[in-house]
Amino acid sequence: MVIQIILIATAVVLFVFFIRSSHSVRTQAFKRIGFVIFLFLSLDAVLRPNDTTWLAHKVGVGRGADLLLYMLVAAFAFFAVNTFLRFRNLERRFTDLARAIALRDAQAPTANRAPSGQAHATAQPPAFPAQAAREDTPEPETSLSGGSSR
Amino acid sequence: MTDYDDVWIVIPVYNEGAVISDVVEHTRETFPNIVCVDDGSRDDSAARIAETGAHLVRHPVNLGQGAALQTGIAYALAQPGMRHLVTFDADGQHRVEDAETMLAVARSGEADVVLGSRFLEQNEQIPLLKRIVLRTVVLLSPTARKLKLSDAHNGLRVLNREAASRLKITMNGMAHASEIVGFLAGSGLKVREVPVTILYTEYSRSKGQSLINGVNILFDLSVRQRGA
Repeated sequence: MVIQIILIATAVVLFVFFIRSSHSVRTQAFKRIGFVIFLFLSLDAVLRPNDTTWLAHKVGVGRGADLLLYMLVAAFAFFAVNTFLRFRNLERRFTDLARAIALRDAQAPTANRAPSGQAHATAQPPAFPAQAAREDTPEPETSLSGGSSR
Repeated sequence: MTDYDDVWIVIPVYNEGAVISDVVEHTRETFPNIVCVDDGSRDDSAARIAETGAHLVRHPVNLGQGAALQTGIAYALAQPGMRHLVTFDADGQHRVEDAETMLAVARSGEADVVLGSRFLEQNEQIPLLKRIVLRTVVLLSPTARKLKLSDAHNGLRVLNREAASRLKITMNGMAHASEIVGFLAGSGLKVREVPVTILYTEYSRSKGQSLINGVNILFDLSVRQRGA
């Protein structure tokens, strides 16, 4: 049945999307195209409900409502993966930010207790140049930060 | 007495106020350079560290032990003259003598990275259940097997400058230990294991990671590289 092929293909695409280590601008564009198609299909399904039944019969599903359910599951899985990836990206940036702050505000031990007089003679100057924290952190890919794809 | 001016001790600290000053003072009898990374502790850890002779770096929020280690490594790398760094647990379960032995191995040039192992010598101190679980983690980790490591989750490690600057820990939580092993396996660095003794005190036992947390570690690792 056609629906089985479609659903399995969806799962495969999701998996590839999940394990791909870089998300390019192209991925972003495809996500947006998919979203627009999704919008038009939902408009059609609302205005002409019989279309879903027609399409369902075409792909080998009994009722239009069942087809909608399948599509909903696929869309939700996509949403979940996308959200997970975006959260992780965010967490990574958040860590970098917190680390930069921590290193900027580092406190060397006060002079009288310091064992060896290197690198921390006076009290206040930060012992660490803040920018060194981000020396070779690669610029995070932008694709996951776009607002409209979902 | 050996000179340890070029060695930095990195101690990630999270809610260890009860013991941290003792651990730091004891360690400082041997190693002059210590940086404690306070990982957003809710107790008085930071104040206790400030009273000691250790450098203090404070995460503004809690990020996890992996993140704290990475911060400490970044700090140590920025210090002039640093050649080796030692990661150390805050609860006093590691022995300074073991760190010295490991440093001697690293300084001889035999290895870029020296890892402490609880299992190289028979050690009756480890609770049986914990021993079984830790062994299983090693068996499940292909990278640990590749390096022929016997203990993937020991907090006592010695890294030379090159290894430290190449290491980038991205797993903020507890999965960083396996991440480090994975990094070492693919890095071409020379890795050696040295037997160490863990002091399982009442305190460290009460703080130790629960075994069920192993489930979280496995999950974190399995999705580690996904969608970086």
